[in-house]
Amino acid sequence: MLKRILSVIAASAMVASAALAQSGTTISGRVTNEAGAPLPGASVFIPSLNVGTQTNDNGRYSFVVAGNRAAGQTVGLTARIIGFTAKSVQITLTSGRDVTENFALISNPLRLGEVVVTGAGTSTTREKLGVTINTIDSASITRAAAPQNIVSALAGKAPGVVVRTQSGEPGASADIKIRGGSSLSGTNQPLFVVDGVPIDNSTSSTTGGDGGTVTANRASDINPDDIASVDILKGSAAAAIYGARAANGVVLITTKSGHSGPTRYSFTSSTNVDNIDAGNMALQRSYAQGDGGVTAACTKTNCAVSSNSFGAAIPTGTSTYDHLNEIYNTGYTFDNNLSVSGGNDRTTFYGSGGLTNQDGVLVGPQNKYNRATFRLKGSEEVSSTFRVGGNFNFIDTRGNYVQQGSNTSGVLLGGLRTPPNFNNLPYLNSLGLQRPYRFPNATSVVALEGAGFYDNPFFVLNNPGNRSELDREIASFTADWHPSSWLAFNETLGADNYADSRLQSLPLTSAATTTGTVTRSDENFLEIDHNLTATATHSFSDNFASTLTVGQNLNSRRDRALASNGTQLLAATPLALQNTVSQTANQNESLAHIESYFAQATADLYGQLYFTLGVRNDGFSTFGASNRRSNFPKASAAWTFTNALGKRDQKGLFSYGKLRAAYGETGKEPPVYGTITAFSTGRTFGSGYGDAINTRFGPGGIASSTGQGNDALRPERSKEFEFGGDFGFLSQRADLSITSYSKHTSDVIISVPTSAAATGYSSKLANGATLSNRGIELAFNIRPIETKNVALELGTQFARNKGSVDNLLGAQFITYNNEGFTGAIGSSTLGYAPGVIRGSDFIRCGRGLKLNYDGSGVKDIDAICAATPGGYKNNALFLGANGLPIPDPTDRVIADPNPKYTMSYTTSLKLWNKLTFSGLLDVRKGGAVWNGTKGILFAKGTSAATDVRSTTNGQFGVNFDTKIYPNVAGPGVGAVPFNNMAAWDAWFVGNGGGFGPVGEQFVEDGSFVKLRELSLTYALDGAWVKNLVGFTSADVRIAGRNLHTWTKYTGLDPEANLGGGGFLTQGVDYFNSPQTRSFVVSISLNR
Amino acid sequence: MIKPWKIAPVAALALLGVAACSGDFLSGGQLSTDPNRPTAANAQQLLGGVQSNLWSHWGSDPARTTGMWAQQFKGLISQYISVYQYAHDETTTNGIHTSLYAGGGLVDLKKADSLALFANDKHTLGVGQIMEGALMGTGADLFGDLVYSQALQGKSNPTLDKQQAVYDSVQKVLSAGIANMASNNPSDVGPGTYDLNYAGNPTSWTKLAYTLKARFYMHTAKVDGAAAYTAALAAAQLGLDSPTIDYKGVYQITPTAETNFYYQFQNTAGRGGYMGIDPQFIALLKSRNDPRFANYFDTTKNYVSVTRDAAAYPQTFVSTTENLLIWSEAAYRTGDQATALVKLNAARALAGLGSDAAAAAGGQALLTEILTEEYINDYQLGEEAWNLYKRTCFPNLTPTVANLKMPRRLYYDSGERQTNTNFPAAGTDPNGSFNQLDPSATTSDGGGACLDQ
Repeated sequence: MLKRILSVIAASAMVASAALAQSGTTISGRVTNEAGAPLPGASVFIPSLNVGTQTNDNGRYSFVVAGNRAAGQTVGLTARIIGFTAKSVQITLTSGRDVTENFALISNPLRLGEVVVTGAGTSTTREKLGVTINTIDSASITRAAAPQNIVSALAGKAPGVVVRTQSGEPGASADIKIRGGSSLSGTNQPLFVVDGVPIDNSTSSTTGGDGGTVTANRASDINPDDIASVDILKGSAAAAIYGARAANGVVLITTKSGHSGPTRYSFTSSTNVDNIDAGNMALQRSYAQGDGGVTAACTKTNCAVSSNSFGAAIPTGTSTYDHLNEIYNTGYTFDNNLSVSGGNDRTTFYGSGGLTNQDGVLVGPQNKYNRATFRLKGSEEVSSTFRVGGNFNFIDTRGNYVQQGSNTSGVLLGGLRTPPNFNNLPYLNSLGLQRPYRFPNATSVVALEGAGFYDNPFFVLNNPGNRSELDREIASFTADWHPSSWLAFNETLGADNYADSRLQSLPLTSAATTTGTVTRSDENFLEIDHNLTATATHSFSDNFASTLTVGQNLNSRRDRALASNGTQLLAATPLALQNTVSQTANQNESLAHIESYFAQATADLYGQLYFTLGVRNDGFSTFGASNRRSNFPKASAAWTFTNALGKRDQKGLFSYGKLRAAYGETGKEPPVYGTITAFSTGRTFGSGYGDAINTRFGPGGIASSTGQGNDALRPERSKEFEFGGDFGFLSQRADLSITSYSKHTSDVIISVPTSAAATGYSSKLANGATLSNRGIELAFNIRPIETKNVALELGTQFARNKGSVDNLLGAQFITYNNEGFTGAIGSSTLGYAPGVIRGSDFIRCGRGLKLNYDGSGVKDIDAICAATPGGYKNNALFLGANGLPIPDPTDRVIADPNPKYTMSYTTSLKLWNKLTFSGLLDVRKGGAVWNGTKGILFAKGTSAATDVRSTTNGQFGVNFDTKIYPNVAGPGVGAVPFNNMAAWDAWFVGNGGGFGPVGEQFVEDGSFVKLRELSLTYALDGAWVKNLVGFTSADVRIAGRNLHTWTKYTGLDPEANLGGGGFLTQGVDYFNSPQTRSFVVSISLNR
Repeated sequence: MIKPWKIAPVAALALLGVAACSGDFLSGGQLSTDPNRPTAANAQQLLGGVQSNLWSHWGSDPARTTGMWAQQFKGLISQYISVYQYAHDETTTNGIHTSLYAGGGLVDLKKADSLALFANDKHTLGVGQIMEGALMGTGADLFGDLVYSQALQGKSNPTLDKQQAVYDSVQKVLSAGIANMASNNPSDVGPGTYDLNYAGNPTSWTKLAYTLKARFYMHTAKVDGAAAYTAALAAAQLGLDSPTIDYKGVYQITPTAETNFYYQFQNTAGRGGYMGIDPQFIALLKSRNDPRFANYFDTTKNYVSVTRDAAAYPQTFVSTTENLLIWSEAAYRTGDQATALVKLNAARALAGLGSDAAAAAGGQALLTEILTEEYINDYQLGEEAWNLYKRTCFPNLTPTVANLKMPRRLYYDSGERQTNTNFPAAGTDPNGSFNQLDPSATTSDGGGACLDQ
């Protein structure tokens, strides 16, 4: 892919260079903004000679033109930097005579003249764009963001791009959703392309998404410090050039490159100090382990005590423990990066090495993440018309992880359920066996079998058996051939290959498997991509220029996974397969190919009207045989109407205006082998509780798969219109971008529920569901102060997306059923955005319910509500005769995790060109979260809210849960169901807790305001810096991330996301760690 | 500068050249064949899958849920507290209904049937038919009305057969199975080692089929009355006659770890403590000084005994004792108290008990003893204790929640409900969680008013 700056050099590379340098000419000077503030990192170069350099922190530059090339000719010298309008002057090169040239560049906040990458080998300038492409530059990626995950660093950076990070544990994945979800299966993640090569960003969990350990999304392997910029192609019109892989948008990552000129060195070292923000989570410290107000304690060996904390009040003087904070400590992340770059007039290179070393916030040694990367990128101008480039990136990611989530061996699950009067330390008893709060005095592994306990969190934290070791290479070769001034060819051949070797194990005495288990999994992924384009440019007249690009894309993705599970450990260690009694292995392989052609034409009229027209013809091996090829067209127009008004100088109150309109189509391919109906050799029959038998065992039975394939599958298709405008005011001191879009996705593939009774299959893959997303995106920036010494910039972004599932092929809803919860199940439901959570509620008034709720026949609930003295309000909680609510067996939507809108505010203040202060406030409004953790802590009696148990006249509608249920009705109004601790206990362990059938009562508003980033940078560039440390400049930065959250959510973190990037359903909180709050100190040295 | 017209053909050729070598780029090999899953199976392998499915219907969650409702087990923590207190919904039972039809159910039975017919293998066909009777009969026990006569015809919105009609069809398919097992052709190779119980032995399968017929006739007795008992009596006389051929879940402990469902639930699945033994059931055995006590319970762990909580313990699903007790009760109900007493004592003898003194009095005392023996024997025998209660209101259990009634059926799963308009909405179908074969029994067959009514 062409680099923003390199492309300019490349486009003009026409002059053959000659022999050795003689004395030469030194060209030097300074680049500043209009107010005189220096602009570091600006490119200053002579396009016709393809020589140049970049400015240092003082804005100074200097380079030499060899004597044999300085023959007294006049050439153009250009200074260019992102955010400013480039400027060229004419200079005369005479050997032996130096030139001094200073530039004062005019700020260009809309980045109009910048080259912007539009994908698949195409690029244009921003002014000509008829679509929205958000560009995030390296500074805002690394300013205060986690050094670990590039996706997390995009949170709050572009309107309409919603990022949720799974948790603060090292190696956790992040989910990114652009303009709402446009598919109902898979993950709705955009396509990631690095320097023109598509890379894998899957999140594949070893043992299912809701338990096990956190799993990285694979884009997090990219070192953020290597990234020059990220372009997000949000809509279908922008992304259509990627056809059937682009329905969820495309994230184009461009890495840093070398520039001709003196060799530059940069060393950055940062230290993050991380801890957790427990938010509004509160545990009770007043009541002991036990039930019904009676304390239970275990004094004998092999005694199983109560699982709950509904015992008597803890006597004063008895020690109690903070079971939340005891499992967290301070984490540290060290991030070091060194880069060397440079080049001469024909060759450039960029080399970097990065090392990220994270010791997470969980207590203990098994909570680490380590990523080492190196990159070598170079280009060589073989001849005046031919240039080749290479880019090699090696990544070694390894981590030790902790069992978490919905998992009886998960760290928070056992930790937060522990009664306040039980000390979780020591975590081993005197015999060296695990010491869980329910079964503390075990005498043997066998005694713990079937004891029904949760792991002691410290036992979990010290389990060394969860690792991932990944080696990855992302490499590419590019060739650019410009056989004539109007014709250019570009070839990019790239590969992404990784081998992920994982171990997940539970040692002897683990709650989930007392006899221990070991899972080894190896995944080998390879993607090879070839992309060839030919671009012709022609100017018909001064007022009519055009380009035509045709291209071919071939792609092959191969995945080979082998997982072996061993059960029943022989000896306590090692946690290895050969140390288990029996093993089962599973291999999963897939191969998919793409063969596509695309064409794109552009026309520029009168320097103000820009048209783009394109089509991609996709052939995928995953499409059904009868639908092997598919077309994805696009068209866009942009009109800079201020140019038509003669305001090309971009001055005045209304200084710039562009209107744009675009239409495009993109797709999503069917799942691999979705066209095939097959049998299953490993079908299990049993229950959701985990007891099951497998047909493969014994002589080997075979059963039909429950889902049917479909040989007529075609890609899902998103058709999107977008309209908008970009406006400048006050001589470009302020700018505003507005975009409105409407995306309609049809042919959506769902596993359509089919009547098993009618067909023998409970589902069938089929195209035909439809959904729509409509929204508006807005970005406004203002620079009220721009003087030589003070620059202040304020910005805000706003985005709202409204999604709706419009057709499910006749079904009312489909469940994803991969979360493993019975009380809260992810689904797509007609009339709602994708990913809403279904479950049950209590019986409520005004819903037209007719139920046989007490076994005495079907009754009209509303009629009974109406008989309540004083009548009833709709949605009032229906109380049975005993004063308690009654579960309604009807399955319904209980939570919509999609936010109503998202916003962010940014500010940047630069003083004396030395001190930069910046901040980012991230706002999410709406978006429900199912607080499953709360439900369980109610049932176990460890939530502080269960302190209500001391109330002896507890009643719904009077003094209990009145915020959730302000209105009550039905025969039980006036009855007092809670008059002692036993009554409260019975309610919480039953229908009033998370083990009961009613998930709705734990749904909460997940709105938040997060102080996402705050940073203060001081640039040191005096001569003493060079004298002292040998570098020309040094930046010292202190920053903070996730410093504070304002929310009403009562769990740990409203951004909770149990399953991470692999989950279609977001907004599920079940014993997962919150994100970390980090304080960063960093120093960068440059020369 | 190179002239454009010289370059254009070269460029075109370059593009075409790459395209030309990609003629088969999108199909063939691993692009078109799933490397992970087979697309063919033989009849024996399919019956192996059905066997797993059938055992899970009798051995896994349906058995535990109905066992709790019949108060042989008690829900102690987490979800099982709610289930014990009769709270259940569509999601509780998702999958149990579907797998009557989907993989491991009718769809594979139909495939196995046609493969067996093609091979003229009457024994494989017969075993499939007997398994079908067992599976669909159990489905009728759990759900009441079912799609059966119109099942798997690809028809949209197939109608549900009434529970009674499902049982009638089950009797027919069992009879057909029995007839096929009588065949004696060289082509009748049978399921062989895929049949983990009888290795395809036609005599054993025939006896099992008769006991199943007797079991399902009993389930219709509330509606059919004496006719059902007469038919059950006739079938029981040809049913299982030796504990050595009791039908059990035989788990493949080695070389692969597949174990008893109760063991898995309590141990490997990490659900220990979810479910214990109901105190009333413990009290019942204690009061009778029943020698099965130690074989049934481990009261320190409050779970099934160590013997029954062992990985390799084969769960019994259909037993000779059950057959004798059906024989006994059916004889009693048709007026033959003498045979009833003989068969009751024969059943007791198998459990290591002596002759029943109380039963010798005959009349209501004999019936009570027969029903009590059935209830005790039904422990861990799939859903039978619950089926007994639904039919007889015996034992006269006090509901676990005052003012609520024990559920008589599970809800259909929501996937089925929304793909077939003939399925009633949850909670409204035929009579809450009752069905038409469970009319309110105002009196218990053990005597006295039924506490559940």
